[in-house]
Amino acid sequence: MEFQSYQKPATLDEALAALRTAHQPLLLAGGTDVLVNAREEHRYQDRSVIDIYGLPELTGITETERELIIGAGVTHAQIAASPLVRAHCGVLSAACNTVGSLQIRNHATIGGNIANASPAADSLAALAILGAEVEIARGGQTLRLPLSDVIARPYRTTLEERDLILRVIVQKLPAGCRYNFYKLGRRRALAISRMTIATALCVDDHGVVTFFSMTMGATFPKPLVFPEINAMLTGKKPTDEDIAAVAKALSDKIPEIAGIRASTKYKQPVCRNLCERILKQLLGGESHA
Amino acid sequence: METHSIGVSRERIDARAKATGRAEFGADIRLPGMLYCKGVHTKYAHAKLLSVNTEAAERAPGVVCVVTGKDFPGEKVFGEIFVDQYAMVYDKSRFLGDVIAVVAAETQEQANAAAELVTAEYEELPVLGSPRAAMEAPAEICINADYPDNICGNVHVIKGSVDEGEAEADVVLHSHYKTGFVEHAYIEPESITVIPSRMRPELTVLGSSQAPYNLRMTLHRLLNLPMARITVRPSAIGGSFGGKIESVESIAARAGLIALKTGRPVQYTLTREESILESYKRHPIEFDVTVGASKDGTLKSLRVEAIGDAGAYINMSPPVMYKTATLGPGPYRIAHVDYNATSVLTNNAHTGSMRGFGTPQAILALENTLNELAEKLGMTPLELRRKNLLHNGDVSPCGHKLDFHEVSIASVTEKALAESDYERKYQQYTEENRDPDRRVRRGIGLACSMRGASIGADGNGGDVSRVLIEVEEDASVHVNIGLVEIGQGLRTCQSQMAAEGMGVSFDRVTLGETDTSRSPFTGACIASRGTFLGGGAIYDACEKVKAIIAEGVQKHYKKPVDDIHFENDRVTFADMDISFEEAVHACYHAALTPMAAGTYTVPLLDWDGHVGEPFYTYTYSCNVAEVEVDLDSGVVNVIRMVGCHDMGRAINPTMVEGQIYGGLAMAQGMGLLEDLGHSETTSAFKNLNFEDYLLPTALDVPDCNTALLDEHPDPRSAFGGRSMGEPATEPGAAALLCAVNHALGRAGTIREVPADLDRVFHAANARN
Repeated sequence: MEFQSYQKPATLDEALAALRTAHQPLLLAGGTDVLVNAREEHRYQDRSVIDIYGLPELTGITETERELIIGAGVTHAQIAASPLVRAHCGVLSAACNTVGSLQIRNHATIGGNIANASPAADSLAALAILGAEVEIARGGQTLRLPLSDVIARPYRTTLEERDLILRVIVQKLPAGCRYNFYKLGRRRALAISRMTIATALCVDDHGVVTFFSMTMGATFPKPLVFPEINAMLTGKKPTDEDIAAVAKALSDKIPEIAGIRASTKYKQPVCRNLCERILKQLLGGESHA
Repeated sequence: METHSIGVSRERIDARAKATGRAEFGADIRLPGMLYCKGVHTKYAHAKLLSVNTEAAERAPGVVCVVTGKDFPGEKVFGEIFVDQYAMVYDKSRFLGDVIAVVAAETQEQANAAAELVTAEYEELPVLGSPRAAMEAPAEICINADYPDNICGNVHVIKGSVDEGEAEADVVLHSHYKTGFVEHAYIEPESITVIPSRMRPELTVLGSSQAPYNLRMTLHRLLNLPMARITVRPSAIGGSFGGKIESVESIAARAGLIALKTGRPVQYTLTREESILESYKRHPIEFDVTVGASKDGTLKSLRVEAIGDAGAYINMSPPVMYKTATLGPGPYRIAHVDYNATSVLTNNAHTGSMRGFGTPQAILALENTLNELAEKLGMTPLELRRKNLLHNGDVSPCGHKLDFHEVSIASVTEKALAESDYERKYQQYTEENRDPDRRVRRGIGLACSMRGASIGADGNGGDVSRVLIEVEEDASVHVNIGLVEIGQGLRTCQSQMAAEGMGVSFDRVTLGETDTSRSPFTGACIASRGTFLGGGAIYDACEKVKAIIAEGVQKHYKKPVDDIHFENDRVTFADMDISFEEAVHACYHAALTPMAAGTYTVPLLDWDGHVGEPFYTYTYSCNVAEVEVDLDSGVVNVIRMVGCHDMGRAINPTMVEGQIYGGLAMAQGMGLLEDLGHSETTSAFKNLNFEDYLLPTALDVPDCNTALLDEHPDPRSAFGGRSMGEPATEPGAAALLCAVNHALGRAGTIREVPADLDRVFHAANARN
């Protein structure tokens, strides 16, 4: 494990100051990716580590009328256990609860998960359907960018070398919204997801869909939502045909966006099957499978 | 017979030290002046090695020396039976785990950095990435010149005439099964520390060695040291499953060479990636199976062609094929058997000892084929088995008349079936699965096996175990035995047998840590022989020591001791009833030495190479597996597994259950999950650590798995017990695949393991 230097600032200001001057800075926000990667090759031998894990300014989850504001240093376990997240963004709570293992959830942070930009990160599909935005400290300014503009492609972000993720902002789901987060892995813990599916859906008293958003993770190079597919159920009392059409449209995105790969002949039909099943469960009244 | 110390679930003698972290594992060792090692691996699986350039590494900071394969003063190759493995290669590379040089430095970091400076020139040779490629290769392309056709082992069981059997059969069914490489995945990667004597060329070796006497032989061979100057003292070992034998000898030879060269202690610890790259694996085997039966389900014939991938070194391939061929026909009455098992050298990772030793694969092929046969005959899998399972006095598929112990496979099976509610569930799931709208289906499978205890006729006459027992002046009993604790609890079990054998309380017995300079040569802790053979030697030593004590007692008390009896810390003879201490005191007072070496050897077996008595005795096993299969995604959930075994008498029932639980989990990995990502083009493995090589986790293995014992003490074993290491994982993968195929609606739907997501999904879809 090789690094050029290591420092642990006590405050956000100190961290930002260190970030301005450090040679090839590398932010450490839990270490569940960086420390694993550092075991192999000499990937970080020239990097100056700034350990921001536990900075008080980056912790805590707060709410506004329409949004939840999650500090970048909040762990997946904290998100999963947060009453606010459970009440307003249950799908994110469920997603964070499937990450890695308990030990990893206790240490890995949401900011770190975004900065690492693993296409298989379990939080991303849930963040995507919650319209997540990322607040970033850049050159003394604070920027707010959509998540899909921050993650460029697998393991690459549009973040600059001296940027620091401050917060993640997600839209609250409408009250009474049903949701589902499905993780398809080779085993039940510590498995990199083959696919995740995040779904949120609201139905009025007449069975008419008033809100719908569904997308897959571990499938596309970056988090994506498809407004035209989400629109397919909104305002309708979905029939089996409507459900099948959504499932087909979503699964067709796999070859369309990710191209035909060896895994496509598995992923595309499985995606279609599972999307159909999840929608039937949600419309049938089941939530949070 | 009343027993006091056996049949009791004693707390393990090492439990507290291990649970509290006090136990010292190989990589925990720190010594003043110790050097650290880093190996350099070949770039190509098969290449002539033209030169190895170590100058830059030698000049690097902290480096004390760099060694290559040419530096071994003795022979260049080692191996227990077949001597063909290189601790470091110098002429050519044969697989990607071959090491071309080792750097020793003051710190591990310095050794790592310097190892990157070693370069080599190669002339690439064609890579033989599969047995088929190796068998079809032109003669000039071979891995070992002594085996120009790359075939390195063959065992052919022939009983009766399969042609005749097939002619008599109403149904003859053919099938093909295939298994992959499996990693042992012990939790502790290999670590060896070698300490040179300051007095003379002499080495002490500590660390993770499952087979200390094999290791001593290898160092003797490669380093030209007399065996008396090599002491091996295994540290606490974090699992082995057959895996810490040859791979560990390799690193010990490299470290030993450096220790002799530098006069300093040397530690060589593998990273997980190096461990998976260098160490041998479970044999991938392909099976062509033809089974014949009459309409009523009576098995008539079994014909199997099995081809195992030996990898780059012969290692244990021929003995593995011996067990494939002799135990692969299962615990059934079959008149005509022709089982031909062949191992083939390739440029893949070499394959060798791994818990089960060639049988989990064979049982998987056989049991799934039997389910295909049952389906064809319109019988249930259970009906077919009940019809054919062996009973007392039957002749085994290899020709062994089983009239010497309780042939309990039927009762073992019935016990497993009852516990798992097999018959009701089989009917229920079969019914349910007829509904095409049911996307999540359930299946239940059963698999039976019989496992020969210890090495078998393959090692006729050479299967020996030895122990040294000394009773000290205070009447404490010191047992020195070279069969190693590798996490299985063997030494607790041996303590219990020694206490029983001496007729003393358990607390009186101390098991010395294994030390080749104190325990007589005893062969390795392999082949499920630790309890069985170790018990035999312990019994013999106890009898001898008691005879010495009796002589002392006779001299001291001047009374006849013809009827002397040692039990429960009391010694009775004539009209006397004295304590064990008094008896020992009498013995020392008479200037006698209550110490004896005990020896046990398996009697010669009547085996002509094709038929007869392949083993001395057998353990009987049945596993039932219940699964849930999602047709929409290929996800398989294991609902429950039940393992029932007759290992004779359970010396320590809780530890036997521990073996069973572990065996079931290991079978689940092999059956459903574990995949090294092997490439037949480059012979490389893609999955070299536990992020990529997926084992079942605690969340995947059902909490409700059940271990059952069906004990019938074996008259052929000193304390009635046989060993349980391998039977525990023998039929599990087979049962799981039977269950998955039941859920999928047809036996033999999947014929290759692991039955992972993609394989199950595609098989399910091909069906529908």
